[in-house]
Amino acid sequence: MIIELKKFGNLLISRQLGKEALAALAPRLPKENTEKIIIDFLEVTTFSPSWGDEFLSPLQQKYQNNLFLKNTDNPSVKATIEILEETNQVKFQWE
Amino acid sequence: MLNNENKLIKISEAAKILGVNMQTLRRWDQSGRLKPTRINPNGYRYYKLSDIRLITKDIFALAKKWVLESIAAEPDDQFFCPDAPTFQTRLHRLEIALQKIPKLEKNFSFISSVVGEIGNNSFDHNLGSWPDIRGMFFAYDLNKGQIVLADRGQGILTTLKRVRPALTNDSEALLTAFTEKVSGRAPENRGNGLKYVKKVLVDIKKDIPLKLYFQSGDAFTILDDKTISLIIGQADAPFRGCLALINF
Repeated sequence: MIIELKKFGNLLISRQLGKEALAALAPRLPKENTEKIIIDFLEVTTFSPSWGDEFLSPLQQKYQNNLFLKNTDNPSVKATIEILEETNQVKFQWE
Repeated sequence: MLNNENKLIKISEAAKILGVNMQTLRRWDQSGRLKPTRINPNGYRYYKLSDIRLITKDIFALAKKWVLESIAAEPDDQFFCPDAPTFQTRLHRLEIALQKIPKLEKNFSFISSVVGEIGNNSFDHNLGSWPDIRGMFFAYDLNKGQIVLADRGQGILTTLKRVRPALTNDSEALLTAFTEKVSGRAPENRGNGLKYVKKVLVDIKKDIPLKLYFQSGDAFTILDDKTISLIIGQADAPFRGCLALINF
């Protein structure tokens, strides 16, 4: 399954909107942790830890080794992933 | 009908208000320092009157005056975000403007994400608990490379005390907010915002100079790429909420 973040917007900030994005996605997410999940950051212009923590952290917790990140070149995307890894003691995988 | 603030003025009028010549404004357009709002098919530049007036104002002084007032009114409409959606909309406008500045082409998202974290902290941490004026002061002056955010909320100490009851003063609270992992997932999510701000300002190598002044209560700190360890200073004029100035 590929999750294109640009479908939620290009400027992804705030906890509230991160929460809402995850809630909107929830019905389409696989129930079991058997499928590869790719988060695609293509065309995301600004990303922040508040949005990322509400959206990425629960997905990382649920899908762990089946979760992969893609197109993470934007400086704010890179920096946010690093801070989430540091504070949540997790390691994301890249596609 | 256009109100006065949305009125478009000719380059000659803009130059007169700013006290520069028209050639300087054309140069500012080419360098991205000050873009006209519209260029007509004949190549004439038009500027929004409110943008030109903004350049003549000191937005940091306006924000500081607002947070220091004992009894305050809502700030001027052009600087006031009463709720998070208004802030999101204005931040999006800022993001677009930053992308057009040539020196920020690759790195604009460092600035927009830092502004996003500081601004959303104000709304997230004061939701339903604003002591007087709900919302924040948010202004930017791309000509001077300044972005200002301020709120009359509870401030860092009161907010952090909910998850760190041992904190006793503004200096300790500011140091904790910028440097320590606050593992308070309950009663509300928090913890990474100002650490992210510090990471971007201090730790990440960038090809743009970025500087932050941040004050809450009677404590302030200044962060830039020369910061080795965080120094907390005592502010002359304390206030309850938060005040941030970003220079780029």
